[in-house]
Amino acid sequence: MATTVTRIEKLVGKRLRRKEDPRLITGTATYVEDIKRPGMQHAVIVRSPHGAANIKGIDTTKAAALPGVSAIFTGKDITHVGSVVCGADLPGLRKPVHHILAQDRVYFVGHPVAVVVASDRYIAADAADLVEVDYDVTQAVTDPEKALAPGAPAVHPEWPDNTAFLYHQTGGDIDKAFADADVIIKQRITSQRLVPNAMETRGVVAEWLQADRALTLFTSTQIPHLARTILAGQLGIDENRFRLIAPEVGGGFGSKLNVYAEEALMGFITMKINKPVKWIESRRENFQVTIQGRGHVDYFELAAKRDGTMLGLRLKLIQDLGAYHQLLTPAIPTLSVLMMPGLYNFRNIDADVVGVFTNCVPTDAYRGAGRPEATHGIERMVDLLAAELNMDPAAIRFKNFVQPDQFPFPTATGLNYDSGDYGATLQKAMDMIGYDDLRKQQAAARAAGRLMGIGISTYGELCAFGPSPATPAGGWESATVRIEPTGKVTVHTGTSPHGQGQETSFAQIAADELGVPMDDIIVLHGDTAIIPYGIGTFGSRNTAVGGPALYYALQDIKEKVKKFGKMLLDAEEVTFENGVCRDPKTGKEITIQTIAGAAYRAMKLPPDTDPGLVATKFWEPSNFAFPFGAHIIVSEVDRDTGEIAIKRYVAVDDIGNQLNPLLVDGQLHGGAAQGLGQALWEQAVYDDNGQLITGEFMDYCMPRARMMPWIESSHTVTPSPVNPLGVKGVGEAGTIGSTPAMVNSVIDALSTLGVRHIDMPLTNEKIWNLVNGAKA
Amino acid sequence: MKIAGTAALPFPPERAYDLMQDPVLLAKAIPGCEALEKTGDNEYSLKMKMVLASLSGAFDGKVRLTEPERPHSFRMVVEGSGKIGFMKGDGVLRLTPKGDGGTEVAYDGEAQIGGTMAAVGNRMIDMTARMLIKRFFEKLSVE
Repeated sequence: MATTVTRIEKLVGKRLRRKEDPRLITGTATYVEDIKRPGMQHAVIVRSPHGAANIKGIDTTKAAALPGVSAIFTGKDITHVGSVVCGADLPGLRKPVHHILAQDRVYFVGHPVAVVVASDRYIAADAADLVEVDYDVTQAVTDPEKALAPGAPAVHPEWPDNTAFLYHQTGGDIDKAFADADVIIKQRITSQRLVPNAMETRGVVAEWLQADRALTLFTSTQIPHLARTILAGQLGIDENRFRLIAPEVGGGFGSKLNVYAEEALMGFITMKINKPVKWIESRRENFQVTIQGRGHVDYFELAAKRDGTMLGLRLKLIQDLGAYHQLLTPAIPTLSVLMMPGLYNFRNIDADVVGVFTNCVPTDAYRGAGRPEATHGIERMVDLLAAELNMDPAAIRFKNFVQPDQFPFPTATGLNYDSGDYGATLQKAMDMIGYDDLRKQQAAARAAGRLMGIGISTYGELCAFGPSPATPAGGWESATVRIEPTGKVTVHTGTSPHGQGQETSFAQIAADELGVPMDDIIVLHGDTAIIPYGIGTFGSRNTAVGGPALYYALQDIKEKVKKFGKMLLDAEEVTFENGVCRDPKTGKEITIQTIAGAAYRAMKLPPDTDPGLVATKFWEPSNFAFPFGAHIIVSEVDRDTGEIAIKRYVAVDDIGNQLNPLLVDGQLHGGAAQGLGQALWEQAVYDDNGQLITGEFMDYCMPRARMMPWIESSHTVTPSPVNPLGVKGVGEAGTIGSTPAMVNSVIDALSTLGVRHIDMPLTNEKIWNLVNGAKA
Repeated sequence: MKIAGTAALPFPPERAYDLMQDPVLLAKAIPGCEALEKTGDNEYSLKMKMVLASLSGAFDGKVRLTEPERPHSFRMVVEGSGKIGFMKGDGVLRLTPKGDGGTEVAYDGEAQIGGTMAAVGNRMIDMTARMLIKRFFEKLSVE
């Protein structure tokens, strides 16, 4: 019996709307805050208002007397719970023991001191106000350079130099590069602390079932499996009796690539009180106690020949770590070092990193994690060199790019760039924006006294994390494909999408491979009781590592489908296309749906074949992937107000093959918004006592829709040779490319006033002062 | 945060000095003060209501007046804490006679805030402090 082939058109590569959006835009998605359990109690955390203090005593009497309060815990109650885990390791790394509630001292504003549990959240909050903590305040230090100075207050008394680690990496012959140089450019460049500000704050619901010795914990995380392993260790419970669920997660940007004190604390509380407990982080807490990003002071030195050839780069990197290590805190600046060569063909680098303790919340991975800092520094240095040599910033980049015939290109930092044509992306961006004509317009504008700037950034990125040996906890990913008896398909991914859109793009891959409609496929993730172990979502890895895992699982299941098809058609060989097995000799066909029914009914089985249609694949990448691109921004500075107007923004990104260009646009636009946020507006500011004085949206300037330019986006496509999909990863590219393009543009605008460098954010006040100072 | 400035009182320095040591009058003049009680020599406990931007809350604190040099100068140390955070102030007030029979009070000190106030009220604190000081001297003037 012949069946009609229903669909030949491939879905991969199409601009499809997201399957996950209906529940998100109708407000029916379930976040941690939406979860209610019978008898659930509510926790509010008492936090240190001081940047540094010794705790002389805690009096919970008044708080405990408030009706509705069920329990109060302080540091002495949790000494048996494991401290917060740092997964990164470096030689000689000093790791402070960070208990989930403070012991005898606090070392940053927001440090958890006690937790109040009550029948409702408002009672818990009122009771938390009644907890009396007697502090002996000591001197804090919040600036990493001041923390390194002799005599600075010690964040941890046992390490008076405030130094957590020193890390040195060198490649090539840096001394020769500097000896051969005609020009040496030096610049101090900062990457200010940023608050990730995911739309959903963190939150935890924990429920202990004493009879089963089983814990269920809902938490807003990017890494459900890793979080379960770590928390099970902290709480001393069996991992298989611990179900961790990341329900809908409202953004993370790295801030939820972590395992926080509050997650273990809620596990501890529910096990103690035998009732479910919920904690929802307030926005003010989110500012103060969820990790922040960046926090670099970088001293760069670039050696070059007078013709513009770059020879080598030296970096002294001062990383503000904050008061203790969260999951990956000390590892982030080492990623900056890896990216130091950028897209350029020089092979001599030398980096000295010092990780510094300060009385601030820890820094950790924030969209880009180390690579935006490096890229900003390199792209500023290239522009400074161009200015010094009076060369065009585009020309100096073309001169130094790694050329297409040099791939695979081993860098001085030990990476192996897989593929690319860097000149082509820059040329395409220049063609789109009309670069030569723009420079003429700029000359005319300058003659008329206007401050117009053109800024270029050509970025490279290290993503698709990554080969397991290069990661702290495995870099592979898992996927399971279950074809149900009716032929409907359930996909499990070990990644934990929270906005990236893999419920859609992974369904596209499965639809193409299996020849079933998109609507017949669902993609599940984020529940350790259902999903085989996975690594999670970070480092632009979902599609580039989770995607291939799915692809190979689909190949396995297709083989099994064909075995059943061959048996059912009584054929010697069959083809499988568009969901149909066909015997080329007889022309007889059978659909995947019919095959699925037969595989589960199992009246008859093919030789050496088990019933059912399920395949699981754990896939290990052989290398990172290396997207790249060119962003060009045209800006104009208002002399009277210091305001910066973005006139045009052209972005050409090469992220390899695109599964769904709509998702790609979304990632690039969001990334660019965050990158422009750093360039122009955002900054976490601490005063000398450790108070975060930009602790709410009135004081911390977030990018808004009306502040965003129109982004003219295009692409070149160099498929990654590392994976069968040819994809590279796009989650962080926009953040990395946008920041230096913006800053270079404004500095170009002000260059006629003698401005050489400005540290971010480029606030109106800073710009106005520069313009008007220069006038005087 | 540095707090410095001057204010004028329409009394000679001796009377101005005594007014600023009188707990009854201080309680009336300190904006938001709900109670001020003597707890020791030149030491008072203080209850006051503080309003800062969108925040308001009760503060429990203490005031200490030290280094008395009547009628020239004294030092005032204020500490308080409440639900919306904590504050600390430490400064010297100097009194100089003016030609018109009045007194110029020059104050110079450091103030520190923490907790929620610091996180959400920081941009307002400078103006708020100035306003509170202005009100304090205005109230004293009419005594």
